[in-house]
Amino acid sequence: MFERVLIANRGEIALRILRACRTMGIGAVLAYSEADRDSLAAQLADEAICIGPADARRSYLSASAVISAAIVTGCDAIHPGYGFLSEDAGFAEAVAAHGLTFVGPSAEVLERFASKEATRRLLGSHGLPTIPGSDGMLLDDEHALAEAERTGYPVLVKPSAGGGGKGMRMVRTPRELVAAIQICRSEARAAFGDDSLYLEKWLEDNRHVEVQVVVDRYGHGIHLGERDCSVQRRHQKLIEEAPTPALSEAAREELGDRAIRAVVAAGYENLGTLEFLVDRDANFYFIEINCRIQVEHPVTELRTGIDLVTTQLRIAAGEPLGFSQADVTFAGHAIEFRINAEDAARDFRSQAGIVERFYAPGGPGVRMDSHLYAGYEVPTYYDSLLGKLIVWGPDRPSAIARGRAALDELVVDGVITNRAFHRAMLDNPAFIEGRVTTNLVDRVGGAAFLTPRS
Amino acid sequence: MARDHGSNDARMKERTPEERRADHAAIDRLADELLPALVAKLGASGLGELDVREGAWRVRLRMPADGRAARRAGGSSRGGQQPSPMHATPPAHAAPSTRSSSPAPVADPDPGPPTRAVATSPAVGFYRPRPDRAAGARVRAGDPLGAIDVLGVPQELTSPADGIVGASLVEPGDPVEYGQDVVEIELLGAPAAPPPAAAPATATRPEAG
Repeated sequence: MFERVLIANRGEIALRILRACRTMGIGAVLAYSEADRDSLAAQLADEAICIGPADARRSYLSASAVISAAIVTGCDAIHPGYGFLSEDAGFAEAVAAHGLTFVGPSAEVLERFASKEATRRLLGSHGLPTIPGSDGMLLDDEHALAEAERTGYPVLVKPSAGGGGKGMRMVRTPRELVAAIQICRSEARAAFGDDSLYLEKWLEDNRHVEVQVVVDRYGHGIHLGERDCSVQRRHQKLIEEAPTPALSEAAREELGDRAIRAVVAAGYENLGTLEFLVDRDANFYFIEINCRIQVEHPVTELRTGIDLVTTQLRIAAGEPLGFSQADVTFAGHAIEFRINAEDAARDFRSQAGIVERFYAPGGPGVRMDSHLYAGYEVPTYYDSLLGKLIVWGPDRPSAIARGRAALDELVVDGVITNRAFHRAMLDNPAFIEGRVTTNLVDRVGGAAFLTPRS
Repeated sequence: MARDHGSNDARMKERTPEERRADHAAIDRLADELLPALVAKLGASGLGELDVREGAWRVRLRMPADGRAARRAGGSSRGGQQPSPMHATPPAHAAPSTRSSSPAPVADPDPGPPTRAVATSPAVGFYRPRPDRAAGARVRAGDPLGAIDVLGVPQELTSPADGIVGASLVEPGDPVEYGQDVVEIELLGAPAAPPPAAAPATATRPEAG
């Protein structure tokens, strides 16, 4: 096992990794930027080292600064957390080249799963359903019309290159398709210098369901069930829960089994999350894999009793997993609320400021992972996540009841948070009935959830 | 409102009296007109940072995480970490540290003009001093004092001001973090005093901000 781990991240996840190190008797060194000098993790770590200015490109995203910090503080491993350098194959390779261990998949594995398109093909070949669409790129209008007919309308026209919604159009008829192809080609050419397009079936009212997997270095892997992350805003998850209300128990088991079989066959290693879209008819389609610890990992921890971060550290140190699928039991229902410095009444505009008061809720089945303290200044340079409130109950209604009580108890003064949004969501019939789809919040706007219902 | 100024020290020397007079006029104008206007503009704009260049001058204003911070300064519980409210101090007299959110350099016991500056580490790594820049050596702003070894790649540690190399705060070969105080520089009189040596080489220093 490692003696000393460098935590190359900030906020609540830095604290989470620090806690995992403490329980394992591993020394923890925090690498921080100037903006995070006063952070809770910097205060609690065995040692804290400033690696650069607030600008993440010169601190948390600087591979040389992070590795140099690990070397000068005598660490033997680097935990990248999520975001920043966590899925950077070049970084993982450089860490290994300096004789340190990257807590995550090897550079080779990260490389293999780096391209979304290639990963879909790879895992598709190992039995995961992917979203149906055109066979390769669209040659001309005639070919596009034939492929759309075969896929079934509505379809999404997508550029092969780039991202961010540019050159992307949803069409419902052949006439719309022909017009869209022309527009998408010119948009894609202008944005990415590549006008090749393909088609994907458009899934209406879908849900986001993901599967947590753990695979050791010896090809022994298990899944830890799924999480439903359908409460989103512009692809940013706000609430995650498990089990998903969208699938039957048999369907959830099938999803987990197929996911773990596919990633083990494809040679994945370490912690990972496979994301799926689930359509109205409960069909699931693989979209992408995240090769790191996820923000919402506590949902799985509360249902399984397995500490994912210590497990990740053990696997990275070369230990075998040590338990099998049959040893994993799932209990009750867990829900996580991302407490963000965002004003849901004003289009979720991000907020900053000094936290004047912070009281974390408690009681049975209530967990608060947060780096806040009274007097802490929320920096403007990074994401708006202030912490995560995770509740557990023997069933979904009791988890929701605990969620309401815990959200009512949570106090964050000095900075506007989205607490009221979460509280309102727990009284919303769509959420109570488990019918929220990924487009709901964007369609009606966050403010709509804040209006009291009679 | 935090103040963060570009390093003008390198451009402040090797100037003719006319140029120096022009500099002082520019400083006065900056302090009296430009800065208050920029502060107001930054406050109203909702931007996090403003970066303005005019001639050889560069001024950067950065909003703290919350605009209220400036009004609350002094009463905050953050133990002196809070950047001080904006003062329209001429950049030439400013502390050379590039750290905007950290306490002032250690050596500043009296309220008069600073007599000492500190070279801070540009990176995290191991400190390698230059043998020819030991204590007592005369240096100009921007002169290398040594390097920080970052994974075998040296990153220059430069003098923040004209002066004489003073005490070293870090042993050779010791690890340093980003922004750490490494070497003290004893300043040579007021900024308007004649430069210690007129080497034309540094006069060609690029004007990049």
